[in-house]
Amino acid sequence: MKILWQIGVIVGICFAGEGISLIMPIPFPSGVIGMIILFLMLLFKRIQSRDLKESTDFLTDSMKFLFIPAGVGVMQIFDDIRNSFLPMVFICIVTTVITFAATAAAVNGAIKFQQWLAARRRKSA
Amino acid sequence: MSEWLSSPFFGISLSIAAYAIGVLIQSKLNTPFANPLLIAIMLVIAFLNIFSISYEDFNMGGQIITMLLIPATVVLSISVYNQLDILKKNWLPVIVGCLAGSIASIISVWLLCRVFGLDDKMTISILPKSVTTPIAVGSSEQYGGIASVTVTSVIITGIFGTVFSPQLIRLFNVKNAVAAGVAIGTCSHVGGTTRAIELGETQGAMSSISIGITGLISTFIMMFIKFL
Repeated sequence: MKILWQIGVIVGICFAGEGISLIMPIPFPSGVIGMIILFLMLLFKRIQSRDLKESTDFLTDSMKFLFIPAGVGVMQIFDDIRNSFLPMVFICIVTTVITFAATAAAVNGAIKFQQWLAARRRKSA
Repeated sequence: MSEWLSSPFFGISLSIAAYAIGVLIQSKLNTPFANPLLIAIMLVIAFLNIFSISYEDFNMGGQIITMLLIPATVVLSISVYNQLDILKKNWLPVIVGCLAGSIASIISVWLLCRVFGLDDKMTISILPKSVTTPIAVGSSEQYGGIASVTVTSVIITGIFGTVFSPQLIRLFNVKNAVAAGVAIGTCSHVGGTTRAIELGETQGAMSSISIGITGLISTFIMMFIKFL
């Protein structure tokens, strides 16, 4: 029965997430609300990650598989997006390079700032 | 025949069989270009076309699989929680990096979509492409995007990150392991992270933390897209 209880907890969180998503004034994906709920439960020790281990492993391991039907949905709309397809591929690649560069620069900046703070604290001590 | 094929077990069986072939092909060819998900999607599309089976029949089972994406998103928080210690030590660089990366990603996608004259529906569908798929699909659908376009753009981004992360590190001369990890996770989610894990323990951990954080931050930024 262990796995049934795990599924119960996870599905319950999903259901709560959808409810909260409906009453939120701004659109917010219910899965992300569920993520925040579970994170808070873990943080405040309402639940331990090993209590959900088997179900979590199943969902994480088969994550990629779960996208097949959504991906197959492309065949339904392909005629409509035929002309946008190549630009889309190009945009995905170029923006990934830009995102990488921006993130790396920001992290390096933040690390330098932390080191500068630490050095100043040492000096004043 | 059509009654048989509209059984939900058809779509589920076909998806699992196609994925099994995808995994087999990848293990034989051993290249990140042979992405099992991409292969499975193409196999299913080919199968449905060859036997003239409608997407609706396939999706009787397909929608049951798609439904599982929400619980799969929820349990992503477990991996962030499990790495809380390493996050506490590096919280400032991680959060600053994910924030900068998310903003850069969304603005650059939006600008390029405008340059190429893509319509609003396409643009919204591509906007969350650097975020892990379940969150990306959630965001896209909330704003009227097309889920399957979002899935496709996320996969393309993931494959690019898996293949070219080491080249990107060299191109931008990123010496710090934390910076490399956060940058890989922020720009190419799980795809890049599988490569980051090969590069080193710090890179792998920072990359996987960044997936969840970028997902959260991007969801918040997406709330402002109506102002674009």
